[in-house]
Amino acid sequence: MIEVSQIRKSYNGSRALDGFNLRVEKGELFGLVGPNGAGKSTLIKILSTLIRADSGVARIAGFDVAADPLAVKSAVGYMPDQPGLYQDMRVREFLEFFADAFRIPSQRRRAVVDQGLDESALGARAESFVEELSFGMKQRLFLAKTLLHSPQVLLLDEPATGLDPLARVDLRDQLKRLNQQGITILLSSHILADLQEICSRVALIAGGKNQQDAAGSSVIELRTPDSSLPRLYEVGVLRDGERAAQFAGAFTGVKVMQVEPSRMLVEISGEAAQAAEFLRHLVTSGVQVVRFDRPAATLEQRYRDVFGEKPR
Amino acid sequence: MNPMIRKELRQRMRERRGWILPSLYLLALCAIISFVYYEQSSESGRTQQGWQFGVTLFLTLAYSQLALLLLMAPIFSAGALTIEKEQRTLPGLLTSLLGPVQIWWGKFAASLMFVLLLLLIGIPVLSAVFAFGGVGPWEVGIVAFTTVVILGTISAISLYWSSAFRRSVHATAVSYVTVVVMTVVTLIIFGIAMSSVRAQDGWHSIPLEVRAPLYLNPLFFLTTALVPKNQLYPEWFTCLGAFVAVAALCAALTLRNLRRSGDVA
Repeated sequence: MIEVSQIRKSYNGSRALDGFNLRVEKGELFGLVGPNGAGKSTLIKILSTLIRADSGVARIAGFDVAADPLAVKSAVGYMPDQPGLYQDMRVREFLEFFADAFRIPSQRRRAVVDQGLDESALGARAESFVEELSFGMKQRLFLAKTLLHSPQVLLLDEPATGLDPLARVDLRDQLKRLNQQGITILLSSHILADLQEICSRVALIAGGKNQQDAAGSSVIELRTPDSSLPRLYEVGVLRDGERAAQFAGAFTGVKVMQVEPSRMLVEISGEAAQAAEFLRHLVTSGVQVVRFDRPAATLEQRYRDVFGEKPR
Repeated sequence: MNPMIRKELRQRMRERRGWILPSLYLLALCAIISFVYYEQSSESGRTQQGWQFGVTLFLTLAYSQLALLLLMAPIFSAGALTIEKEQRTLPGLLTSLLGPVQIWWGKFAASLMFVLLLLLIGIPVLSAVFAFGGVGPWEVGIVAFTTVVILGTISAISLYWSSAFRRSVHATAVSYVTVVVMTVVTLIIFGIAMSSVRAQDGWHSIPLEVRAPLYLNPLFFLTTALVPKNQLYPEWFTCLGAFVAVAALCAALTLRNLRRSGDVA
């Protein structure tokens, strides 16, 4: 759905993108992560047709962003890191203006705007001025505007910046919902926990180039799309990790990766039910399990390994 | 209707200046007409005919109206694009299906419409001159048309500055400087150039390079409109061509800036 090949962009002689490559499949929720100045925003601006690349090819839904910007604009919803809103417009007027700007026929416009208001839970604030909304509401309004023309692809540049924790959770849920509806999402963020939670894969970028982790991969797999493929789980035990590892090794489809006195890392093949069955097996075997989870620090750890700095 | 025009007009009419400026403009016109009436009627001897008084009043109003509108036009257009940059709303426009031409046209038309509104509300005041005679619909029409062309050009220039700068305050300041250059500096340049020229056979004996700066002077353009119908050629048409050319050039440059503005958006 998104293909970027050898894309380059310079600003006054300084390279923002230097031969970056990316491939996002249809229906994916894909993350883009890297330090400040890595080239994430530049890439997203090129994909949204805001700026032109110096060289290379970028395609969205089969359309070349440089050669066919109108088709790309129709297929894409873009949300910048600091979404600008007309503060002196009413919420409904704002959505109506953009529905008009996206050439939604006038007979459909009202229904589309009403749907946007409903989905963003802003129906009760439709007649309020934008300036009266909270930051989280404004973010929801901008996302509603981004979705008015039913884009196939969402390009989100640091959408959670400045949101309070609840609004962040809200946004995360909304993105998951949109992704489940079939919208492909490319999300740039510094908040690794969010990317870990919702993205299926994450690309690493720094200095405008693809970065590789220790395993030589420039894309980190966070969700295994094929449920039959193994998933990594972290099992915390009260004591005697060695004994727990013995029970674990005896269970079909489980491979023990790492053992410590109070935790072990296992790879479980098959459906999620297999993991539940394994947990039951451990407990009935007398292992005192205190934690059973997919390791949350993986992305953060790999980020540190690659970039050698603590993410924001 | 271009959605930009609808949005712009709605936002402008919501602003406080949307009614303050027309009110001040009307008050200023009324003050000018009262002043002229008082001055003319208190002149010793009172020998002026009614039509002479009408012509004097009309000329005073035409130039005053142009001066007032030259002061107001940059207010509406110089901030039109910079405000989108300041509010960070420009990326939203550029990534919608509105093209740079539609964005420019929406901003230009909305700015000009507001100035036209001022012209329109001044008509009742201007029509007072008909009561004295000496001025017909042709004079009123050509003056109004010339004023619209001048203001359209000033709006296009201000929009260009608005596309070139990031801050409204800078774009507005440079727009006013441009207005001053066009109205005052061209006159001074003409005056300096004239001091070294001996024009014995009237206006047309002055070399073109000496006259040239005046073709960009709004007050001179208005003056060329006040001659009899059959004398509009060549001066009025030359001014018209010069103003339209400047406006077209500014529009083209603004569109180029808009196409490149994703970098700063």
